[in-house]
Amino acid sequence: MPPEISLMLHPTFGMLAVLAAVWVFVEVLNAREGNLRRIRLASLAVAALLWLAYVSGGYWYVVHYAADKAVIKAGPWPFAHGFFMEAKEHLFFSLLLLGTYLPMAASDSRLPGDQGVRRLLLTVALLVVLLGLAMEGMGAVISLGVREGLMTR
Amino acid sequence: MTIPPKYITSFGLSLALVNLFNAALVVLKETDEGVLAGMKAATGHHWVTHGLVLLVLFVALGWLLAYLKPARRAGEPSGVAVAVLVSTVLGGMVIAGYFLVAGWLGAAS
Repeated sequence: MPPEISLMLHPTFGMLAVLAAVWVFVEVLNAREGNLRRIRLASLAVAALLWLAYVSGGYWYVVHYAADKAVIKAGPWPFAHGFFMEAKEHLFFSLLLLGTYLPMAASDSRLPGDQGVRRLLLTVALLVVLLGLAMEGMGAVISLGVREGLMTR
Repeated sequence: MTIPPKYITSFGLSLALVNLFNAALVVLKETDEGVLAGMKAATGHHWVTHGLVLLVLFVALGWLLAYLKPARRAGEPSGVAVAVLVSTVLGGMVIAGYFLVAGWLGAAS
């Protein structure tokens, strides 16, 4: 697969996962028997999209990132790697596990009546949204770090 | 398909514990070259090993905790929500804080 493709797929899947998590959040706020199926489908979509983001981003990171890392570290924005990439690549694991757990929690038979289960789902969905947005922002800084590095060569 | 509540509790608590372990493993491998080298040797890339360790731990702890009797609120969905929230924020702060400090000191790889 060309590196540009996996590089574009990663944030695309990530942003779609964020949107799906927002969908879960809103559906859970209005949880009732009639929308349980949608809550569970949207939760599965979050998990699937995050795993796709993990595989596409992970492939690019493991196979192609070394060259970009060298450019960033030699350029005027070394913190794009030293802080943003390092933090992003490890915080992503929390996001992936939150997304993996979301459909499990959504399959709880105590829904939609149990306030605790609803609170749990809202918490996990909200964390997916916030961490997902943070990942997108960090990715943007990393891309700028590469660009700054190339422009000063 | 529904999953029995005991697994939802156990995997939620497992998620919270793995969040904290993730942060601890980051600091450990970044400060101990032997650990980093071992993780690189295991799969060819430390990040791949890191992910595999966390995923295996998440599944193993999830199954194991399902057979333990949870203490007080930890077994309730609200307690699991608090554990997940606190561990995610704490783990995130440790990871971000570590690389912020390491960046200042110029130690990040």
